[in-house]
Amino acid sequence: MSKEKTVERRYLPEISQKEMAELKNTVKTASQKIIADNIERMKKADPHRPEAMKYFDDIANLFGRRQQEIQAEKERGKKVIGYMCLFAPTELILAADAIPVRVNSGWYDTSKVGDRVVPVEVCPVIRSTIGAKMIELSPFLEQSDALISVLTCDGMTKLGEILSDQTTVWGMNVPRVKDSNQSLRFWSDEIKHMKAQIESLTGNKITRKSLKEAIANSHRATKAFRRLQDLRKANPVILGRDAMLVNQAYSWDDQKRWTEKTEALCAELEVRVQQKDWVCSPDTPRIMLTGTPMFWPDNWKLPALVEEGSPSGVIVADEQCSGERILNDPVGVDEWSMDDMLNAISERYLMASTCPCFTSKDGNEDRINWLLNKVKESNVQGVIYYVIRGCMLYAMEYSRVKKALDKINIPVYYLDTEYTREDVGQLKTRVEAFLELLNARVDF
Amino acid sequence: MAGELIGNILTLIVLAGLGAAGVLAVILWKKNRASRVSFLRFVIQAVGLAALFFLFALEPAIPLLYILIAWFAATLFLGRFFCGWICPFAFIMDVESVVRRALKIRHRLLPEKLNVALHKGRYLILAAFLLLPIALWVVDPPPNTASAVMMGQLLAGPFRPYSIIIDPLIPPVVPWTGQLILGDINLSYPYVGDIVTFIEATPGQILALAFVAVTLIGAFFIRRVWCRFCPAGASIASLNQFKAFKGVPLLYIDKDEEKCTKCGVCKRVCPAQVNEVYEQKGGKINTSQCMLCARCVEMCPYKDALKIKLANKTVFESRNWLEPSIESEERKIE
Ligand code: SF4
Ligand code: SF4
Repeated sequence: MSKEKTVERRYLPEISQKEMAELKNTVKTASQKIIADNIERMKKADPHRPEAMKYFDDIANLFGRRQQEIQAEKERGKKVIGYMCLFAPTELILAADAIPVRVNSGWYDTSKVGDRVVPVEVCPVIRSTIGAKMIELSPFLEQSDALISVLTCDGMTKLGEILSDQTTVWGMNVPRVKDSNQSLRFWSDEIKHMKAQIESLTGNKITRKSLKEAIANSHRATKAFRRLQDLRKANPVILGRDAMLVNQAYSWDDQKRWTEKTEALCAELEVRVQQKDWVCSPDTPRIMLTGTPMFWPDNWKLPALVEEGSPSGVIVADEQCSGERILNDPVGVDEWSMDDMLNAISERYLMASTCPCFTSKDGNEDRINWLLNKVKESNVQGVIYYVIRGCMLYAMEYSRVKKALDKINIPVYYLDTEYTREDVGQLKTRVEAFLELLNARVDF
Repeated sequence: MAGELIGNILTLIVLAGLGAAGVLAVILWKKNRASRVSFLRFVIQAVGLAALFFLFALEPAIPLLYILIAWFAATLFLGRFFCGWICPFAFIMDVESVVRRALKIRHRLLPEKLNVALHKGRYLILAAFLLLPIALWVVDPPPNTASAVMMGQLLAGPFRPYSIIIDPLIPPVVPWTGQLILGDINLSYPYVGDIVTFIEATPGQILALAFVAVTLIGAFFIRRVWCRFCPAGASIASLNQFKAFKGVPLLYIDKDEEKCTKCGVCKRVCPAQVNEVYEQKGGKINTSQCMLCARCVEMCPYKDALKIKLANKTVFESRNWLEPSIESEERKIE
């Protein structure tokens, strides 16, 4: 039961039911095909794919099992809270016995629909999410009883406002200079306010006990998550795409089950490590991705190109909020009082973030440090700096990242693209040229 | 006879308690990675307390001197390790914190500026402790030569600071030396001896009581509040300020700039509200505010971002509480 807002629509145009249904149908059919196709390609790339990936293939179907599960939970009275940035404090949502889901859209086709509301200069993630809302394509976006919109980049700031035409949207102000006491105070207040809003929507009070449990469960998930990333650090036992899918599935899957399944996957991979059963030759160039987030299912083209090209590479790490940043940072609680837990949550979401929306007296140094550290830890040989046109902040930080990586002699390649399949051929040439270069360096 | 029996029984109880705590420490070490060091520290503090008690109680004169010498030497190498891991007064405060935690009462922070001011000002406090007796002597000379001589000894030059060092230690360890007598009860408490010795009876007692109340209540709400300006800590720290000893400290916290995400955990969990670990970019952490309790290292969620090093060897590193599979960590690219 979605709460129909009676307010006049300020942004979204009226679309006739018929047109909407038609659009939804075509895009959904196409999307289902793409999901199947992506998975097929992942299977082909690794004929000896881990057994445990079966579960994630299943959960990867956005119109499948998980949608039905959430629907059933909703009917039982649970609330669903969607979010569009990693800044949303999921522990609080879980503690209030609600379901957190991330609703950023990876659909290419809906970005065309979104064009009716905002011009093409706007970041496609935003346009696509607007489009998805207009034709009610995204199951999770439709199921959300409220959305947490964090005002990070310009696109996100307006996205919340536009979506508030049709759903309840809670804005969250994020300070742009994060390493100061006043910023932290401000952000802590936002977190406390969010807690109150979540409580009033769900009707469940967030107690010390429930919050402690939610934090502990998230710690378990982080543990599993890190175990998986650690497995990617040495000789490749899993394709980058597989790991990326697992990582991203966390943002819509059931937390406990995700943790179990990821642990199972890791256990399987650890056996392979023992047997020296590598997924590809250990000489394959090791790639790290950074930049704009890549959302399942459509925006999987770059990882596919990297790992299927000739020569091919293997993605061993990333610095993306759609990837390794999801669960990297745990909430570090000192004393399990409500107060300290809330402080710990505030700090974890604000201070540990490497989002380019921040600046500080050292520039966004945390991100640079993350990159340098990952390069060393994961033995990265080349970095692909991925930017979709319209993503200002990532584009603008490129020079700084390049300088830092140049210093340690790691080649970085700036790859810009759009939410479209049309440039795949051209991208392929560019990616392969880069991989060629990496191979040459290794030989040398 | 009866007294001896009770004494023996008490000793047994204390030893049994310590043994149990030790066992618990081992269990916790395996299970709860987010608090194992803290608990171990707690046990060591308790054991230290008992050990010191025996040292003091057995033969007062000679062991005291040895302790002082050993302590002096250890301080050169270990810095304020003593404050973090052994000091009995600190133990009292830590026990208070544990009680507070159990009651789910949140702790308060001293304003950052005040904390730094106290830290810098503690040399003034130390000086006051040293000069107060002299001033009082001038204002109000001791009635006879015998007590004058005694006081002169107390004040005797460079040794006085080490009497100050030992002060927070003696009363909790050897209760009957405490000088705050209320009714018949001897409330042994650090520094109270100094206060009542040099100030007339009633004002002295009042001052002493106020001191006890402020520090006890303060430490309940503010973790390790006394350590922020403890003259003993200052004396210890001052040893490390001499150029000649600069290279000597063997035990220190080391930070890896690239691995730190500036998540702020270390800053929040520090019982002494030390900022340097968070703010310093990397390398050896330089601050005598830190008592090397290792809580920040224990809680830092990133592998190897913080380390405690002894003679350049890592003895303990961060990320223990979210340890992943050991195997995968040890894997190197072939
Ligand atoms: S806890 Fe560790 S990662 Fe976090 S700010 Fe401190 S040193 Fe850095
Ligand atoms: S900085 Fe770390 S080791 Fe030093 S006192 Fe604070 S928590 Fe303890």
